[in-house]
Amino acid sequence: MGSELLSFTVVGLVTGCVYALIATGLVVTYTTTGIFNFAHGAIGMAAAFMFWQLWISWHVNPVLALVLVLFVIAPLFGLVIERLLMRPLYGAPTDVTVVVTLGLLLALVGMAQSFWKPNTTHILPLFFHANGFRLGQVLVSYHAVTAIAATVAIALGLRVLFNRTRLGIAMRAVVDNPDLLAMAGGRPAQVQQFAWMLGCSLAALAGILLAPLAQLDILLLTLLVVDGYAAAIIGRLRNLPLAVLGALAIGLGQNYLIEFAPGSGFLSRIYNILPMVVLFAVLILLPQDRLRTASFSGAVAPRVAGLKSSVVWAVLLVVGCVLISFGLSPSNLRIGANGFAIALILLSLVLLTGYGGMVSLCQMTFAGLGAVMMGHLGHGGSLVGVVTAVALAAAVGALIALPTLKMRGLYLALATFAFATVMQQAVFTQLFGTGGNLEVPRPHIPGIPTDSDRQFFILTAAVFAVASVGILALRRSSFGRRLVAVNDSPAACATLGVNVNWTKLTVFTIAAGLAGLGGALVGGVAGQVDANGFVALQSLVLLLLARVGGINTATGAFLGASTLTLFAVLQPHVPQLGNLQFLLTGLAAISVGRDPNGAGGRIAELAAKAREIFGIEHRDPVVPVGAVAGTPAAVFLDEEEGRLVGAGH
Amino acid sequence: MSAPATDLASRSGADPVRRDPHAVLEVLNTSVRFGGINALTDVSLSARTGQITGLIGPNGAGKTTTFNVITGLQHPTQGRVFIGDQEVSGLPPYRRARLGIARTFQRLEVFGSLTVFENVLAAAEFHRSWSDDGTPPRQVASEIVNRVGLATVAGARVDALPTGLARLVELGRALATRPRLLLLDEVGSGLNHDETAALGDLMLDLTRDGTAILLVEHDVDLVMRVCDRIFVLDFGRIISSGSPAQVRKDPAVQAAYLGAEASTELAGEPA
Repeated sequence: MGSELLSFTVVGLVTGCVYALIATGLVVTYTTTGIFNFAHGAIGMAAAFMFWQLWISWHVNPVLALVLVLFVIAPLFGLVIERLLMRPLYGAPTDVTVVVTLGLLLALVGMAQSFWKPNTTHILPLFFHANGFRLGQVLVSYHAVTAIAATVAIALGLRVLFNRTRLGIAMRAVVDNPDLLAMAGGRPAQVQQFAWMLGCSLAALAGILLAPLAQLDILLLTLLVVDGYAAAIIGRLRNLPLAVLGALAIGLGQNYLIEFAPGSGFLSRIYNILPMVVLFAVLILLPQDRLRTASFSGAVAPRVAGLKSSVVWAVLLVVGCVLISFGLSPSNLRIGANGFAIALILLSLVLLTGYGGMVSLCQMTFAGLGAVMMGHLGHGGSLVGVVTAVALAAAVGALIALPTLKMRGLYLALATFAFATVMQQAVFTQLFGTGGNLEVPRPHIPGIPTDSDRQFFILTAAVFAVASVGILALRRSSFGRRLVAVNDSPAACATLGVNVNWTKLTVFTIAAGLAGLGGALVGGVAGQVDANGFVALQSLVLLLLARVGGINTATGAFLGASTLTLFAVLQPHVPQLGNLQFLLTGLAAISVGRDPNGAGGRIAELAAKAREIFGIEHRDPVVPVGAVAGTPAAVFLDEEEGRLVGAGH
Repeated sequence: MSAPATDLASRSGADPVRRDPHAVLEVLNTSVRFGGINALTDVSLSARTGQITGLIGPNGAGKTTTFNVITGLQHPTQGRVFIGDQEVSGLPPYRRARLGIARTFQRLEVFGSLTVFENVLAAAEFHRSWSDDGTPPRQVASEIVNRVGLATVAGARVDALPTGLARLVELGRALATRPRLLLLDEVGSGLNHDETAALGDLMLDLTRDGTAILLVEHDVDLVMRVCDRIFVLDFGRIISSGSPAQVRKDPAVQAAYLGAEASTELAGEPA
């Protein structure tokens, strides 16, 4: 027993050290640039593969290979992404930085998949040929010793860097006020560049140490690193010693759970989700900042379509789908129906993120809940299934929203991501049954046939069209104005009598319900679903698609889903697309940093230009001027009219 | 006359909760500490129905912090706030707003992605949702947009407006909730001479309807012209209070506004 405890302690310490390295890297880039790098894990993964390539495949001396990866390739990569991707993002809204770093994550995964085929096994051996020494009855590998020693050295080194060196002090100063640092003779750009180089090196080291312990697998490594997020948050993204302590606690806790938890049932899997549970709990317990005050929102959102034009477009969409449905093969009809179901989920992000400014990384989880309810309660396509799908997703959405309401952008994103991961690892495997497959019927509307693929395709198109008109109407309503107002300035809303939390709760619930509806329809496409269809990574992809398509327009939801559909249609003919899909989606998401309104925004811009050219002027809300003419202020207005107009433009 | 408690003299020494009988707002012995810094120390002040009360002081004196404490955006380390008869010290901002406080912000807090009209309309809609005022919000909004002089830019997005006009949008938005207490944080900066004069008239007009105004303003002429009473903050403490004439003569106030230039500005004739 004693030696077992010792051996689990050693493994736990090593795990903890790797988490600590991850957390340290995240904190270094976050404190100096204000960007939380979701691609941190992917960078570590890519570095581990690069190391494998040099050492195992090309037989480069391992020490030389390690030096090359850690001190040349990784910093160089940091330099390049800082210059190209991150620098334009400093000061950008959180959801844009989240999307861009997620895009980088996907692009790296896509690139890795095309270099190192996922279906061939790559093995990265432990350092020192897995040799070690005995500590009592326990074999401690030199690899473990290296990991612990490296972590201690880096922790001490960073302490000296931050407290004793000019560069380190400049790094701490730069996030507070880059302009002030510049005036004091510092060079903010170089400091931030250095932070990214250092962050990438730390990610690379973590990835290289982790890969032999876990497995050299692209997705596994990318997501294992996510476990280090919890430690970074324990350190509140700025306190390094606290982050390191948190990392060790999580690493040890996880390994003790493996030893002491029962061998089967829910508790046997809990070690897996421990970091995410800790992440969620810490986020809730963290003291939150006061009500956020207004921030520069970046891009000007496109005009909201009026009722008439949204109805016309919706009808045109459905009619168009009816017409093309005659020419589509059954498999393409199913792909199209899937596209519209996904578009519904994207529409929930338009409402939540586009209008409400709240980032959710768990919309696919809500969709999964919808599919589960449709599968269990929608026998024979009963609408009970649809209604409960929406209701359960909405209810869970409200439950998740309640503790997370006060969180700001990044914290909310991380909390929803933790929730999605926990659901994926601990709950969905149960809900979808042990085989993993759940039969999901297509909803049956009395009097309307929906059984054939063609009919179902038209049904999904119609549901999307109606939902789009509804979401646009909601945006134009007083609730929509409230939503936008709460996003623009929560502080002002509160001082005008608005219960900001209640507003956020409402919109989060509606969006979750809409995603649940999408999920119920996704299930009906193939008639069955499995838990793999609703993993956390897919929620990330959805947010990217929504951003790329245009997150503040219904058109954007349609375009985002169309991209996905196009891939699905083309893939049988162009097999390479499978890998390219991640890469291209990632690259497109990266472009969001420069064009936050996405393709939908571009189209709205073009439409506005066309209206201008053809002289069809859009009418602004009409204000009856002079309603209270004669009051002193109205006179004030008349006297100053010319100047005010001049000043206004 | 420079003692902090002058205006609250009616309060008997034994009972610190004894209130200014005319006050619609009363702040009592409020202190705020940020880390090791005392942003406010033992601040007490009041504002009365139908009057304009000035709150002046050098930059960083704690004026905006005082507003944040009153509206509930900042929790004081100690102290109490009363609106009318009700103590609001523990209430969240939106509950205080529903008791009839509205404010503008020195650092703009406009709804940038909405138009001028929609900003005011949204506020009118908020007001309708929590009050029993049945006036259609669109009617309220167009009336107010005219009243504050923004009709010509009603259709413009607010994030495209110059600062001075954006401040008027905040004023309009605040008015749309029909407040009995209006906190104005440098609403006049960015306006030219004529516009400032019109703003002063508008404020006086509002007080005739029974609104109480607490005014933070750098424009000394405006403050002296419209205020009934003035409180002077310096380094987080009330160093003087009284009528404009009393405050103007107070040596402590002149010292706080460092230098002869500022003193003459305070003591001299309006330019």
